[in-house]
This record gives sequence, C-alpha cells and structure tokens, in this order.
Amino acid sequence: MKKILMLAAILAVAGTASHRGLAQSPTRANERRPAPAASPFTTSEKILVPLRFDHYYTYEQVGEALRALHDAYPEFTTIDVVGRSEEGREIWAMTVNNPKTGAAANKPGVYVDGNIHGNEIQAGEVCLAFLNGVLTRYGSNEHVTRLVDRNAYYVIPVVNVDGRYHFFHDPNTPSSGRSIRIPKDDDRDGLRDEDGPEDLDGDGNICTMRKKDPFGRYKTDPEEPRLMVPIKPGEKGEWTILGEEGIDNDGDGRVNEDPEGYVDGNRNWPYNWAPPYVQAGSGDYPFEAAGMRAIAKYMLDRPNIAVVYAFHNNGGMYLRGPSTKAEGMMNPADVAVYDVLGKNAEKIVPGYRYLVSWQDLYPTYGDFTDFTYNLLGAYSFVGELFVTETETYRGVNEKAPEAAGELELMGNPQQERERLKFNDNVVQGDLYRPWKAFNHPQYGDVEIGGWVKMSSRLPHPFMLNDLAFRNASAVMFAASQTPDVTMDVFSMQAMGDALYKVRVRLANANAMPSMAFNAVQKKVFPRDTLKVSGPAIKVVAGGPLIDQYQDRVEYKPYRPEVQMLQVPGSGKVEFQFLISGKGTVTFDYASRKAGRLAKTVELKALK
Amino acid sequence: MTCLGRRNLVLVLGLALAALAFVDPPAMRAQAPAGANVATTFAFDRYHNPRDLAAALTSFAEANPAITALHRIGRSAGGSDLVVFEVGPEAKGKDRNLPAVFVVANLEGTVPIASEAAVFLAKQLLEKPDARKDLTWYLLASANPDGAARYFGKPAVADGRNASAHNDDMDDQADEDGPDDLDGNGLITEMRVKDPAGEWMPVEGDGRAMRRADPVKGERGIYKIYTEGIDNDGDGEFNEDGPGGTDISITFPHLFKPFTATGGAWPGSEAETLAVMRFVMAHPEIAVTFTLGSTNMCLQPPAGGRQAAADLTKIKVPERIAKALGADPNATYSIQEIMDLVRPMVPPGFELTESMVAGFLGLGAVVNPLDEDLKYYKEVSDRYKDFLKQHKLDGKRLEPIQPKDGSFELWSYYQLGVPTFSMDLWTLPEAEEKGEKSGITADSLEGMSSEAFVALGEAKIAAFLKEAGAPDNVKATMLIEGVKSGKMTPKQMAGMLRQMPRPKDTTGVDPKTKALLAFSDKELQGKGFVAWKPFRHPQLGEVEIGGAVPYGETTPPPALILPLLEGQVPWVFTLAGKLPRVKIVKTDVTAKSAAIYEVTAWVQNAGELPFPTAMGKRNQRVGPLVLTVGGSGLTFLSGKKRTTINDIDATKSVKLTWLIQSDKPQALALRLESPNAWADSAEVRLGGAR
Repeated sequence: MKKILMLAAILAVAGTASHRGLAQSPTRANERRPAPAASPFTTSEKILVPLRFDHYYTYEQVGEALRALHDAYPEFTTIDVVGRSEEGREIWAMTVNNPKTGAAANKPGVYVDGNIHGNEIQAGEVCLAFLNGVLTRYGSNEHVTRLVDRNAYYVIPVVNVDGRYHFFHDPNTPSSGRSIRIPKDDDRDGLRDEDGPEDLDGDGNICTMRKKDPFGRYKTDPEEPRLMVPIKPGEKGEWTILGEEGIDNDGDGRVNEDPEGYVDGNRNWPYNWAPPYVQAGSGDYPFEAAGMRAIAKYMLDRPNIAVVYAFHNNGGMYLRGPSTKAEGMMNPADVAVYDVLGKNAEKIVPGYRYLVSWQDLYPTYGDFTDFTYNLLGAYSFVGELFVTETETYRGVNEKAPEAAGELELMGNPQQERERLKFNDNVVQGDLYRPWKAFNHPQYGDVEIGGWVKMSSRLPHPFMLNDLAFRNASAVMFAASQTPDVTMDVFSMQAMGDALYKVRVRLANANAMPSMAFNAVQKKVFPRDTLKVSGPAIKVVAGGPLIDQYQDRVEYKPYRPEVQMLQVPGSGKVEFQFLISGKGTVTFDYASRKAGRLAKTVELKALK
Repeated sequence: MTCLGRRNLVLVLGLALAALAFVDPPAMRAQAPAGANVATTFAFDRYHNPRDLAAALTSFAEANPAITALHRIGRSAGGSDLVVFEVGPEAKGKDRNLPAVFVVANLEGTVPIASEAAVFLAKQLLEKPDARKDLTWYLLASANPDGAARYFGKPAVADGRNASAHNDDMDDQADEDGPDDLDGNGLITEMRVKDPAGEWMPVEGDGRAMRRADPVKGERGIYKIYTEGIDNDGDGEFNEDGPGGTDISITFPHLFKPFTATGGAWPGSEAETLAVMRFVMAHPEIAVTFTLGSTNMCLQPPAGGRQAAADLTKIKVPERIAKALGADPNATYSIQEIMDLVRPMVPPGFELTESMVAGFLGLGAVVNPLDEDLKYYKEVSDRYKDFLKQHKLDGKRLEPIQPKDGSFELWSYYQLGVPTFSMDLWTLPEAEEKGEKSGITADSLEGMSSEAFVALGEAKIAAFLKEAGAPDNVKATMLIEGVKSGKMTPKQMAGMLRQMPRPKDTTGVDPKTKALLAFSDKELQGKGFVAWKPFRHPQLGEVEIGGAVPYGETTPPPALILPLLEGQVPWVFTLAGKLPRVKIVKTDVTAKSAAIYEVTAWVQNAGELPFPTAMGKRNQRVGPLVLTVGGSGLTFLSGKKRTTINDIDATKSVKLTWLIQSDKPQALALRLESPNAWADSAEVRLGGAR
C-alpha cells in the first residue's frame, strides 16, 4: 500500500518519464492497418458474440465487437459516434435499452467508460464484458433481465481512441501512449514531440537499455541474473540503467525526453481544473481535448445518467472523489451511498480497495469523475484494474514477498524474482525479454531487455476473463442500486364540501437517491417535480408532509400544484394536498435520474 | 536552407509588406481613400449595437484589405458571430512571426463604451502606420454580443448575461420570469411598495434615491424595493428568472467559482469564453493582453491578499511525503530546499523543475500577483497617471472594480503569463465631500512601510477605518499594534481594502448612488433618474415606479465618448512600445587554435517589460527564446547548435558562449527566434572568412 503511494507520488513527479510513446510514426486518420502479427495477446479471428476475453481487442476490433453485439441485439442496442479524436478517429458509444420498458431517457442511466489513458487497454475489455454480460444473459438470467429492463446503459469502451490505436500498433512500454495526441513541448526547447523512444531492436516493445559500467549504481542480482539491484556502500558497480529504449533524436544530450503529448485526458475536464504549471498534462485550457469535449456533450444530453464508472489501470482500486483536499469533505449523505457501492466492489473484486482519490492516492485536478459527480450529479467511480502482485509463483505455505522499501524505484527485488518465475513457468516467457546486446549510436555497446509492452499493468490474457467479469459485476451491482421510485396515493379524506385531503408517497427501494445530495445542495439542476392536475380540480394547498400522525405539513405558499423534491435512497417523501373540485386528479412525478411516473385517481374519500 | 528557411522568408515578406504599408505606395493608395473614408465616417457620437459594430469593422477591413483580416472565432449563445479584427503587416499571410497585442472589449456586456474604444483603436491603427508597422493587433470589439445587445433593447435592462438559458430559481421552468416595462418608458427601473416589513427609506432631502433604514438608529423602513415587473410564474418572487444566461466576464479558468447563479457551469462552458481561450492559445505570438471593460490594471495592479497555498517561500511538507524526503513536517521550506531533497530520488538525468515539485506537493495555483511583476505595474500606473493629467482626465472618480475571480484579466495574468492590462474608460465622478478625510487609500497603503503607517497616528487611522466601513469593534490601536508586531503589513491592508465592498458614508447612501445623483444633476439635467410615479400593479397593488436609469453608472452620455477615448485609448500605443524585444547586441570570436573558436553572443531584451513576466516564468507557458548557430561541418565542443533562453528581464542581457571546431574559415549565421518578442540575426566570421 505504502509502496504504491510512494511510487505514485514519484511517478507524478517524474511525470514526463512515465508516458513515453513513439510519436514520429505518421498515421492518417482511421487508417486501417492489419492486426499485429500472431501474438499471445491479440487475435486475428473474426469477432463473434458471445465475445471472448482471452485476448485483447485492437481499436478496430472494439468497433467490430460493438457491431457484432448490435447485429445480435439490434432492438436493444444503438451505436453512436460521440465525436472524433485529434487524429480523426471515431469515439463510439453503445446504448443498451429495452424499448418495451420505456425510452432510455426515462430510466436511470448507467454510464461506463474506459481507456481514457491510451495504454490502459483492459479497461476497454471490461466495458465490452459488461455489454456482453448484460446482453447475452438477458432473458435467461432473471437478475440481469431486471437490470436491463429498468436502467439505460451508456458504454464508451475506448475514450482515448488514438491512444489505444497507437498502443497496439506502435512499440510502447506498459506505461507509454497514455496521452491525448496534442503535441506539446515537454522539455521546453521550442519543439514539440521531437524526441520519443524508438524500438531499436525491432521487437515491438520499448524495453529498458543498460550498459556495463564499473561505476554504475547497480549490480546483477545474485539470485536472479536478469535483475539488477542497487549496490550498497563498499560494493562494486556493474550496470548503469540508461532508461527506455531510444536515441537522442534532437541532439540535445537527452534521450526520449519529449514523446507524444503530453495532455492527460483525465486532467483536462473543467471541474477544479488547474493549468499545466500546477499539474503536468492539464492541457492549455479545460476541454482542449476534442474527445473529452464531445463526451461531455454526449453526457449532458443524457441527464438521466445517475452513476458513472471510468476504468483505468492499475493497482486494484475503486476511487471516489474528492480529488483534491481543497474541495473539502464530500457531502456525508452522498458518502453513505458511495460506501454501499465501494464496499461491495471490494468484495466482488478480491484485492481491490475502495479509496478516496486525493487522500489515499494523490491529488489531481480536472478529473473526469469530479466533473460527473459535481456537474452531472452522478455517483462516480474510477476503477483501477489489475494488481501486479497476482502474478504469483508460490507454494501454499510460502509467504508473499515483503513490501518494498518506500522509494524502491526498481520495485521489490523479491517480488520481481517471483514475477520472473511466473513469466517463465506460468506464461512461458510471454512477458519478459532477456537482455540482448545492441550497438547504440550514442551509447555504444548496450543491452536491451526487460518487461514487454503487454506486461506489468495488464493481466496476461488467461487472467483477463476473470478481471473483466468481476469488474463488470461491480458495475452491475451499482446498476442494481439506481433509484427505483414508486408512487402511491395512500390516503384521501373528505374535508367538507368538495374538498379533499390527499396524501401521496414517493418511495425509493434502492441505495441511490433520485438526485445526489451534492446536486441538491449546490443547485446544480432543479430537483424532481410532482405536479397535480385535473380537469375540474384546484389545488388549494400542498406541501411536504412532515409528520403524518400530527398532520404537520409545510405548505408551499405559491403554486402548491408544483412541488420540488428529492427522493432519498431506501426512503420516502410524502406530500399532502388540499384539493377542491371533483372528478379525476393526476399526479405526475418527473425526475432527471429516476424516470417519470403518473397516477390518476378519482377524488373520493378512501379509508 | 535551414529548417527555419520558411519562417525566415515569411518574416522577410512580412517586413517588406510593413515597409510597403509605411511608404504608402501608389498601388495601395488607390484603396487608401476608401479606407480612410470609412474609418473617418464612423462617428463616436453615440453607442453602437453589436451588429453595427461588426458592420463597421467589416467595412474597415474591406477598405483596407492589405493589412486587415477578420477571424470568426465563434458564435454567441444568441447566435451572433464573434469576430476578431486583425490589423498588421502579417494579416494576409498564414504564419505569424510578429508579436501581437490582443484586445478584448465588453466581456461584461454592460459596458458599451468599451466596444466603442475598441473600434476607436481599430480606426487609429488604420490611420497610424507607425503603430502597426511591426506588430499584429487582434481586436475583439464585442466579446459578449448577447449581453451588449440589452443596452439597445426595448426595454433597456442592465443585465450583461449571454443568451444561454439558465434556470435561475431552480424551479420547473427556465427564463420564465424576467422584468417587465410596466410604465412603458423603455427602461427597466425599480418599483417601491409601502410595506410594514419594508427595509428602505428615501434619502433625506432627495426623493429620488433610496437607502436602507438603520434600525440601530431608530429608523423604520417604509418601502420594499423590486425590479420593475410582474411575477410572471406566480411563485411569489419578482423577476427572479429572466432571460439569460451567463456572465461571460467571470467564466475563465483562473479562480473560477463553480455553483454560482451567473458564472456558468465551468470555465469555458460558454461558447464566448471557449472561443476566446482557443483563439489566444492558438496565437502564441500574443505578447500582451488589453481588456476594455470595467477594471483598470493601468491604474491598479492586480489585488493580492488572498490566502495562498502556493507561497513558494514557506512550504509545509505533508507528513507522508516528509518522511520519505527526510524533511520535518512541522518546519517550512523554500521550493529550492525541497528540490534539493527530492533530486537524489529521481532517476539520473531526469530534470526536476519547480512546477513539477509544486505539483507533486499539491501546492495548487498561484493566487497573488508576484512582487517582481508589481514593480512594473507600479511604474506603468505612475506613468499612466501622468498621461491622464496631460489629457485632463485625472479628476476624482469612483474607483474601477478589481478584476473578478474567473475574469479574463486574471486568466491572462496568471495563466498566460504575459503582461496584462485593462482600462475602464469611465466611472462616475466622485460626489464632492464635506469634512475631513484621512487621505489613506489602497494605493497609498500599497507602498507604505510599517513605520510610516504607525507614524500616521491614531486619529488619522481611525478616520480611515470609518471611511473604509470597518466594523466598530475594529479600533485604530489594534491596527497599529498589528503592524508594530509584524502580524500585518500596510500592503496586506491594501489587498484587504480592495476586496472589501465599498463603504457607505455617514448619511447611509453609498458613494455610487451619491455620485449618480450628483452626476444626474450636474451633467444630465436630472435625466439620470426617473421620478417615482404611481402605478397600479396587478399583484402588488399600489406601487411607484422610478429610480436610477439603467447603465447610468457604467455609461457616460454620448457627448463624452470621443474625449474619453481620445484621452485614454492611445495609452495602449505607449504600452505596446514597452514590449520585450530581443536582439543580438554584440558578438565576439576568439581563435583558440587553427580550427577551434570561442564564439560569444549577447542577447538583450531591449524592451521595458520582462520576457516573460515573473508569473510567466512560474507558469512556463511562454516558450523559450531559441538561438541557432548555422554553419557547415561544425563540431560543438561546448554549447549546442540550438540554445534556449527561458527569460531575460527588461533591458538585461544574457551572454552565450560556444566552443566550436571548424576546419575551414566560414561565416556563421546566428538566428534568434522568440514566440512573442520579435527575432534577430547576426553573422560571425570564423578564421577571417569574408
């Protein structure tokens, strides 16, 4: 835990070093390149429904998967092009809605996306697994059938479409290719994206370069010759670690110091945004990234979205806001709702922790989920997929390696040794390249090797199905807790000459309220309405019923026929109206998030 | 040709074009009369609605095609085009190599004279080739056309918000209850209604203005005051949800406040704001911004005194990080000290910057102007006061407002990191006061030493507190003690004073109303107020309609427009003359051996403003100067072919040295480029090359 925190902090410091990618390759918009050659991570087979999760989907294959799902379930699904990226690629959204149970806009919306960071690809598979899970089990699984019938689902499997495209097609490290493709001058030399890494040995990966050096700060690990460990005082050095594979393209004496971007899609949202000098990767201004702006519009056009899951890698976390300390404490009534979802997610996905973003990880500005919680009023989580420590090679009685030192940049040697055994004996060497000699134009004789692109932050394909299924289930749990409001006219008394006292109850069986408490408090949008009408009636008075036994009502002095309200989770609100006249009375309930209800009754005494 | 060839060529062409414009060749003269005609026929004798402003600028552009361009940068919520009028030698080309001045007017929507000033500036630029000979000018004369149109509307209502719908009262309808011109005079004024729960009473001896009754003094309120109109939606509130929208002047990203009634959902949520941000960011050649509106950063520096996390001299290291760094979580450190602690922990060769460490510690944004910048603001303000004196515009007037959180001005200063100035052109003349004054103002406090403050004495400070509207429990002795003990400085007080609402004077009438009354009497033949007249209101019964005419406090009568513009707008040219300008002022070559030379060049900022501002150094938005050494077969033994220079203060020079091996005598081309401070070149000769 601590180790993750410190590493995260250092990575935040070492900002530009942790997102390398090859920016030079000229790519035309939506250029169709063949899928990479046979690899343990991808497939060249036709994508069929049910979708499989024993391989990763290229950007193009995500599109094929969505089309396949739509072809299989045409009446339940629609595909929208939300917008286009900087390089012109389409950003796709799939809506799942059962039209027989109502229009999507009138149901609670569940929004799921992934891969806002180009390299965090398994997030896309979780989105596809979610779609696959709800669609293929509709009708056969009662729980899933109910989830589909009462909610609308909006899924954007790939947010950073350029990033995903390049992550598959170009050489990368597990952490590079994260950026939105807006060239920036990372090293402040007046040039943009002029010095990214290169795949010098042509193996499709950006690995690590090291050089024999008697004055180096590392020596070969005595227990595992592929690893290096820092020398202790008095020991002789053997290696200098030169960093990621590449050359000094711009002749400034530095290698790979200005790769693509850097604009971080998840720092470019306008709520609590801060400029790049406060935080690297913010972009010049909020929504500089075209795709983010397009997605915001897509979401604002769907005000019924009540819950948001945004998937990333890695670390095994379900994070909620606030993202900075300065935002203050979250509304406690909303925290209670988050706790229900977060604590269940911890159990659905073993090893994942439910955490507060700024407090347990590190502060960030301009987050996507801060935007969706604060400005759309949707309960919003970031899911950090995959725990590297699950790459084990250990007998039942063996202990897990001890936690690494707090600033152990090279990782914990004990755990690295175990991961290498996992690589050797469980996945037969798929994840690691042994060191090989290379003649470098600037460094001379070096060695290139280490963890490959599809390692470290991604599960090996054999573990992908489990990861995708469990995390999709965490979203399904949240979908089962969207507001479920019912309306009941539970009392009607005659008060004399054509005057009735009518009581209406709006109840909500689920954890989420009909509107987030923060949105009520900050007046982000109007509350739900309850309107009373009828051809021959007049609402004389009306207001919330505070105590039905004492008959205490807070009558609204003006327009009593329109009441503004929120229905809390696992609770109710009641209203009392004094209505004069005769005939029918209709009660219309309308909520952004919880749908619409109408009930017509005949004015008469009920007992 | 080097990779800079194209840029070079464009620059040469640009200069040639400038020269052409300057000498006014016959080919252009053929068009010039038309241009001059249109420019001079625009009369500053009235205010022009956004449509007429746009038409005027279009005709300016059509009459002067060689040196102008129109850029449609967006469209307001109400559907009006946002048009940037460009004047300069590069207007016709694609590339921009000359520095640019960005001028934006009437973001507030309620300051029509600001747009007139922008058109006046455009006209001057067309008439004065000198002012545009090596500078690009971008003028957005009507930045908020929806809001600006309301001044010309029938009825006129002082509301500058754009036309995007907003549900102000969070009921079930948007924009359903705006004001109504009940008395049909074309103006939205006020209604007063006698009400036992009223809080207002007429100002003694003047029936026009109202003031709040002070119950402490035994005064009883007589009236309730409403904006003129009816309760259209029957919710008991009057005019609480009128048409519009968002106040564009507070929708920029620095210190943007979310969840306000009029500020928009997020910085850039409005098309107008987004268009301005995108345009400015797409034009790194912008070297200075100039806002015409309701603030005056030529007179007043940006206010400080905000509680700041990002004070880089006194940083507390959070506990969990402190342990790893070996720092004391209870002590304070400077940013440099923290960088020294972090440096051993980052990978070798990794370049650690202040911003990176500030980000890692979560210090957040800078919120107070930096001292180095304030020195320049002070100098500009002193010179501007002289300038106003010369133009006889230095009479006492109400202070302009400070740039608001979320304003363009603050965004420009803090996030663009370029010199940022603004001008409000007019406020009401101060009503003449009777009695003693302390003579202490925010301006005088700004530069005052603690000793000088204490020396003012208790009586003067007490008078100052009264003027500032301080609560009665704040005593002069407390301030004196605070300053003596170092807990407070006069400068901090100046900051606080600028943030405070304007004080009320002894008669309970705020200075603005008083100034409005005096101005109406003296300059408007009483037309600044509508006399209260009875009206039978459908919901309130017997009311009276009257009060101050809308826009009275922001908008001088048309006769004043021209003298105000003539006496103030040309200051922009003085400021433009101070811009940082980089030059290679000297070179030197020493032969160290037959083939090895030491080459030295001095790069100077010949301008009177720093490159970039201190805030620009901190935010690193403005790219570096780049000096490239051109030649063939060179080996750089020390120094690089491309050298970057991050900053040069005003009038200062930076010395660069290279050790270069060249096997043959040759002339080296030194080429200096900047994002927004011009360019220069020089030649040095190695080994007696000719």
